[in-house]
Amino acid sequence: MSALLQIEDLRVTFNTRYGPVTALDSVSLSVNAGETLGVVGESGCGKSITALSVMGLIPSPPGKIAGGAIRLAGEDLTQASEARMRALRGAEMAMIFQEPMTSLNPVFTVGDQIAEAIMLHQKVSADQAFRDAVALLDRVGIPSPDRRARDYPHQLSGGMRQRVMIAMAVSCRPRVLIADEPTTALDVTVQAQIFDLLNEIQRDFGAAIILITHDMGAISEMADRVAVMYAGRVIEQGRADDVLDLPQHPYTRGLISCIPALGKGEDTLREIPGVVPPLHMLGAGCAFADRCAHRAPRCDSEKPLLQAHGHHPVACHAVAEGRI
Amino acid sequence: MTTLLDVRDLTVQFALPRQGFFGPRPMLEAVRQVSFSLEQGRALGIVGESGSGKTTTAMATIRLVEAAGGQVMFQGEDLLQLDDEAMRQRRRDVQLIFQDPYSSLNPRARVADIVREPMDLMEIGTPEERRARVTELFRLVGLRPDQLNLFPHQFSGGQRQRISIARALTTNPKLLVCDEPVSALDVAIQAQILNLLARLKAELGLSYLFISHDLGVVRHVCDDVAVMYLGKIVEMAPRDALFDAPQHPYTQALLSAAPSLARRKSRGYVRPVKISGDPPSPINPPKGCAFADRCPKAQDVCRKVQPVLEPIGPSRVACHFPG
Amino acid sequence: MTEATEFKAESPAREAWRMFRRNIPAVAGVIMLTGIVLATLWGTFFYGGNPYEIVWAPHEPPGVTPEFPLGTDYLGRDIFAGLVAGGGPTLAVGAAAAAITMVIGVSLGALAGFYGGWVDNLLMRITEFFQVLPTLLFAMVLVTLFSPTLFTIAMAIGVVSWPQTARLTRAEVMKIKELEYVTAARAIGARNRRIIWTVILPNAAPPLIVSATLTIGVAILFEAGLSFLGLGDPNTMSWGLMIGSNRAYILDAWWPVTFPGLAIFLTVFSVSLIGDGLNDAFNPKLRER
Ligand SMILES: Nc1ncnc2c1ncn2[C@@H]1O[C@H](COP(=O)(O)OP(=O)(O)OP(=O)(O)O)[C@@H](O)[C@H]1O
Ligand SMILES: Nc1ncnc2c1ncn2[C@@H]1O[C@H](COP(=O)(O)OP(=O)(O)OP(=O)(O)O)[C@@H](O)[C@H]1O
Ligand code: SF4
Ligand SMILES: [Mg+2]
Ligand SMILES: [Mg+2]
Repeated sequence: MSALLQIEDLRVTFNTRYGPVTALDSVSLSVNAGETLGVVGESGCGKSITALSVMGLIPSPPGKIAGGAIRLAGEDLTQASEARMRALRGAEMAMIFQEPMTSLNPVFTVGDQIAEAIMLHQKVSADQAFRDAVALLDRVGIPSPDRRARDYPHQLSGGMRQRVMIAMAVSCRPRVLIADEPTTALDVTVQAQIFDLLNEIQRDFGAAIILITHDMGAISEMADRVAVMYAGRVIEQGRADDVLDLPQHPYTRGLISCIPALGKGEDTLREIPGVVPPLHMLGAGCAFADRCAHRAPRCDSEKPLLQAHGHHPVACHAVAEGRI
Repeated sequence: MTTLLDVRDLTVQFALPRQGFFGPRPMLEAVRQVSFSLEQGRALGIVGESGSGKTTTAMATIRLVEAAGGQVMFQGEDLLQLDDEAMRQRRRDVQLIFQDPYSSLNPRARVADIVREPMDLMEIGTPEERRARVTELFRLVGLRPDQLNLFPHQFSGGQRQRISIARALTTNPKLLVCDEPVSALDVAIQAQILNLLARLKAELGLSYLFISHDLGVVRHVCDDVAVMYLGKIVEMAPRDALFDAPQHPYTQALLSAAPSLARRKSRGYVRPVKISGDPPSPINPPKGCAFADRCPKAQDVCRKVQPVLEPIGPSRVACHFPG
Repeated sequence: MTEATEFKAESPAREAWRMFRRNIPAVAGVIMLTGIVLATLWGTFFYGGNPYEIVWAPHEPPGVTPEFPLGTDYLGRDIFAGLVAGGGPTLAVGAAAAAITMVIGVSLGALAGFYGGWVDNLLMRITEFFQVLPTLLFAMVLVTLFSPTLFTIAMAIGVVSWPQTARLTRAEVMKIKELEYVTAARAIGARNRRIIWTVILPNAAPPLIVSATLTIGVAILFEAGLSFLGLGDPNTMSWGLMIGSNRAYILDAWWPVTFPGLAIFLTVFSVSLIGDGLNDAFNPKLRER
């Protein structure tokens, strides 16, 4: 049986002043109903572009999907018409963004905005939609929801705004919910509340969640499976336990060991030297080669492919050759 | 050990815009009678929610924000009493690193000039000596001397933060205020900067006032930690005491909310302490304990009487029901 | 051009220059303006024709006599000679007025924005006072009070048009003053004067340069307006003066007003093309990642 959402060999290119660059290359991911897929990686590795591709929201031009398929319950979204995508967005799949203030319209009350989202996809009266909106606000844990529904976005705190975004996103019970760094702008105590809420919502109606983050801790607490991205490619993918406890790719290993842990106060952190290469300077080999301690000549000439190794797939020559 | 910095009852108020034309100007008390001290060669971490007054405390300490009251004794001298010129001269001893490596460097100046500027202003050394010192600092923070003539936008975030650090070190300061120095950086880069800060502290005997909302980072860098909530310090303790035996319910909530690799969804991890809601407004702070509305242990007395810092073991805690 | 010399040292500015060069209308504006400036320079220093001299019959239409390709005006003066001779003063008034506008506007705006509080209040009240005055009327009063020379005209235009620049500068300074690199400069012990001059103003420059360019255009139009009303300097040939003195006969002969009008239009147009080009070049939002 194939997964609810399946991304196959997705390739996305952007036209930039350096010429066309490949922002995503051979990205394959899948997520099942009721499951949370965590996507991690450094800034600029293509997490948001992956999410936007699924939603059909790649800014085009300069961007375009240059290959591959995105299947939602079997239907290839890269081939779907814009009208079809509009019908799917919000109803079958929804997205929560990092900065809730900029994704809410400042001139309408939050209740009206949620009601509007409901009426886009369901044939209900405006009154009914507003009542539903209030119920949703209650569901996402906003105190005195009937009063808050009449507030404007700027009257709410960051955490409440993110709850409103979640209420709007789940208003039509989408089957896929994409959360792109939903808590980066929030405090840890509020982040914990939002994570708990996402988990409850998933339990309620079995949505598939894609959680994009750069925080390994968040992945550990939230995800069933993890995909680690680097420079536009998935370099390691597997069950959260496998990837976090037995990381194979040198980058994933580095990423995990350079987090200052809460539980212990060690002296020096392991660090990954260097920086991510810009997309227009990617060569023929492994994008991580410059920063990697296991680099061999082959790493500079041939891109490692994602291949099953041990418990889970990883894209590294050194792992494939049994050098690490 | 000598006490480098001793802050007593520091208070900072901001006047908000008038309510109506003739209305009074409401005052926002961003820092309310905060006291702490910092020993030479140690790092004091300040953690707390956004808006709890961490930045304002640090800025008022080094007089980049005006304090409404209190004392800042730096090497036995009250910084708040110095006149402008004397304070300007003192700035060579207290330096600052910002959170945002993108906005804290003048985009129109070459990085060599940025790093040299403090020496120009303080008239330290001859031009040759200044130039040599810049090159030396560049090496110290891990940049290449051939990058001296570039502009800030030609560097990555981590490299820019190294430039800020180099600028802060130019005058051989004793105290370095670090306001979320790694929050804007990716973890891989963050580790590089944290290691650099740790090395500088050991090699140069620097003291840090280190602000962060990342508890893992604070545990890694700091010797002592102060937890702020709504403009007040609610708990202050040596690092291990704070992380292993948090006393204040807010500290406990903070620790249990911080995501950690040790907590796995697969192992059915459920958060033990849950707090709901947001912090109250600093414009009309509650009469009693500011955390009372969100606190699982709150009783009547919490809403009426403001708790003060009391010693509990190695820690000092402001709570009626600690532990 | 002055912009071009400023570009050479600074790399962020060089980046803007690169953007500017790719903007075809803006480059066309530069070429057009260069042509106009060269023509007026040539007219001022090399062209022998005297614009005041009556050389031919009045109202000779253009293209009839090869010696006077653009025809003659109501007194029989050569219009081509007037155009090339009048260009210099016109452009000079425009540039001088823009310079005066910038000096007053930028200094007051920077002080108000940086110091805030009562300084800001006071300066802004003064600015508002100048802003609510009907500008043309006020300039007319100034020009009639003092004798209308090129200098007083430029002064008058400068004095009435600085408030906008002051507001723009104030807004920019207030925005930049909150940025961390300004706090960083204070933290290393820089004095206020140094912060304003070496940190804030260079960073506020892009919108100010754009506004200065546009002010040149506005000032040229302003000078033409004053001359049209008969308030220009009668002893110095300018495009505005040509229009002003010929306006009574516009129904008899279109060319004596049309050619200087066209010259003004082309100048202002090229200047605003350049202004727009600079605006785009400095605007980071339009730069790709
Ligand atoms: N409009 C665009 N034009 C050109 N390149 C783009 C554009 N949008 C994104 N990119 C490039 O695509 C790559 C992936 O960007 P993306 O936003 O997906 O990163 P991300 O992993 O979400 O990073 P972050 O953690 O910073 O959000 C980046 O290198 C970026 O430079
Ligand atoms: N210039 C100012 N004028 C008015 N209020 C201010 C000003 N600066 C800060 N505040 C207020 O003072 C309080 C403390 O702010 P501060 O920036 O110190 O918090 P913080 O703990 O550093 O937060 P963060 O984690 O978001 O940086 C907040 O309520 C803030 O809104
Ligand atoms: S493929 Fe080579 S360079 Fe890339 S991560 Fe593996 S060992 Fe390192
Ligand atoms: Mg992103
Ligand atoms: Mg802060």
